[in-house]
Amino acid sequence: MYRYDEFDAQFVAERTKQFRGQVERRLAGRLSENEFRPLRLMNGLYLQLHAYMLRVAIPYGTLSSEQFRMLAHLAEKYDRGYGHVTTRQNMQYNWPKLPDVPDMLDDLASVQMHAIQTSGNCIRNVTCDPYAGATAEEIEDPRPMAELIRQWSTLHPEFTFLPRKFKIAVTAAKKDRALIKAHDIGIQIVKNKAGEVGYKIIVGGGLGRTPIIGQTLREFLPKSELLAYLTATLRIYNRYGRRDNKYKARIKILVQETGIKEFTEQVEAEYATIDISDIAVSQAEKDRITAYFASPDFESLENEPAGYTAELGSNKAFALWAKNNVAAHKASGYAIVNISLKPKELAPGDITAEQMRITADLSDKYSFGELRTTHQQNLVLPHVKQSDLPALFTELQKAGLASDNINLITDIICCPGMDFCALATARSIPISQAIAERFADPERQRTIGEMQIKISGCINACGHHHVGHIGILGLEKAGVEFYQVKLGGDASEDAAIGKVTGPGFSQEELIDGIENMVELYLAKREEGERFLDTYNRIGMAPFKEVLYA
Amino acid sequence: MSTLKHKGKGPQAMTANELRDGFNVWLDKNLDWTRDYENSLRTEDQDLIDRMQLKAETDEAKNIVVGTYFIDVEPDTGLPARYREKFRVNGPSYDTADLLEAK
Ligand code: HEM
Ligand code: SF4
Repeated sequence: MYRYDEFDAQFVAERTKQFRGQVERRLAGRLSENEFRPLRLMNGLYLQLHAYMLRVAIPYGTLSSEQFRMLAHLAEKYDRGYGHVTTRQNMQYNWPKLPDVPDMLDDLASVQMHAIQTSGNCIRNVTCDPYAGATAEEIEDPRPMAELIRQWSTLHPEFTFLPRKFKIAVTAAKKDRALIKAHDIGIQIVKNKAGEVGYKIIVGGGLGRTPIIGQTLREFLPKSELLAYLTATLRIYNRYGRRDNKYKARIKILVQETGIKEFTEQVEAEYATIDISDIAVSQAEKDRITAYFASPDFESLENEPAGYTAELGSNKAFALWAKNNVAAHKASGYAIVNISLKPKELAPGDITAEQMRITADLSDKYSFGELRTTHQQNLVLPHVKQSDLPALFTELQKAGLASDNINLITDIICCPGMDFCALATARSIPISQAIAERFADPERQRTIGEMQIKISGCINACGHHHVGHIGILGLEKAGVEFYQVKLGGDASEDAAIGKVTGPGFSQEELIDGIENMVELYLAKREEGERFLDTYNRIGMAPFKEVLYA
Repeated sequence: MSTLKHKGKGPQAMTANELRDGFNVWLDKNLDWTRDYENSLRTEDQDLIDRMQLKAETDEAKNIVVGTYFIDVEPDTGLPARYREKFRVNGPSYDTADLLEAK
């Protein structure tokens, strides 16, 4: 795993020290809120609906067990015993107190973590396929590239005051688990016809109040040109992106207004002026970074060892969990394990300090001390021996972490909504809980199959509702919450924005309506079809009819 | 967002967040800050409203509270008129912390 070099460590330490001074001056009254606000936001500290909220960056969603233990420690010592995994793979704390925040940042720095660039109009935390380095589907591990971008973008003098925030996601597999088409820039590691490895660059995607699917800026970019090309793209955005209107300031609007063809020409023209060798990173430095992400020492093992298959045959609960939550690993005899943070009783993405600690211990015992957060608000143990799966399952069960609902109807993405967020128009957590309640029967969930429900508590769309198979947006009118429904969104490599069905519903009507649509799908589906496939085949009208019945 | 300019209708209450702990507070009838909305001062009296405004400005300058603003209050229920403000009064309808405390 990547470890900070001296520069990084020193920088983070200085930054924390600076912030401690700023907090002290704020508390002593020598800084006004107007002066302090941008400083606290630069360090991930928001003032929310009921209290402060600290957002901690988890670069590309990769954590060591030691780091996860520290996140548990923060939850326990400075917060109220839990944390919340966000759709950008970060961790949020809902109840920190201002005087404690510098201590929290010091604790984070002791395990090479921080909260820098989790807010503000800069390049934010780079997100990544949570299966990186573990899946056979990838061309190569995308994390060295993500780390390179992190280093390049951290405090980049030219790109610290962009027209608006800038989010980058990376993947190296065809199957998109990082939502690269809904980011300002999405990068996919690809091979060209000659078999060379390079990057496909997608630009101008985004959710928020104007959802747009990203378009291809470059089909193939040679590896050595990445930072230079990103520089050219960011320059065009910095130059022409709208600063007059916050709602039109994202790069997606610029690309849309300019047209992808002209935008591409602008980027390429700018690119032609850049001396690539100025920005290029030496091979030695690349090798240094890549070495941190070297595969652990996998043993040479058989797939499907006897103990594992015997347990599959004799333990139904285990078999169901394994079928749903376990994915294929690149190394024979190993598996990728998804840990669902969507049990019926907790809010989506919430995890208690105790559960964090247990997961950290399990990752030490079974996964080379490594774990991941996912944009679906779940966790991943990337490298587990298949022969260890039964024992791991038993321990997860004890910790309340063995929900076998990954990618099913109760694996809901959900933002904090009005329960915590100052920008919300309606609650979202109770909706996800009502759906989890209505579809609690695991057998029924499996019958329904893959289904992605995504809920946002306002138009900012942090809960990704635009790309849910069923997307739900919470709104409010005259003191009453109501919920608008979108259908046909897709967060995969075939990314699509869902279409609004029509007027919104009360919570009860909404849950009944969803159930009606699910029943319709079950009645109409053809062999192998998911809800989304049936919807795409038969269109909105029949679903709308039962939704508004 | 903090906006002291009060253009409200009907009874008013003054709210803010504590600078240190971040919690929501309202001015009470002694013009002290309370975390309990039940104890808040809700009034249509313009003189009182002016004093609330002054107190809010003073305490914001003294770094006791941040983000002060008036909220409209429903005359019949005494609750905040805006949905969002009702939520600030009640706290989250769901919080994992409550489950942990219940244990
Ligand atoms: C609670 C404090 C939060 C605040 C104040 C906040 C604010 C915002 C705002 C204003 C936007 C729209 C940005 C734009 O269109 O330029 C946004 C987008 C987004 N937020 Fe949040 N958010 C919060 C929490 C979260 C959480 C908890 C998550 C994950 C669960 C999240 C994930 C996202 C994502 C993925 C987007 C991307 C949509 C896009 O493409 O712009 N946010 N957020
Ligand atoms: S979608 Fe709205 S309510 Fe939900 S977290 Fe984002 S800003 Fe808050």
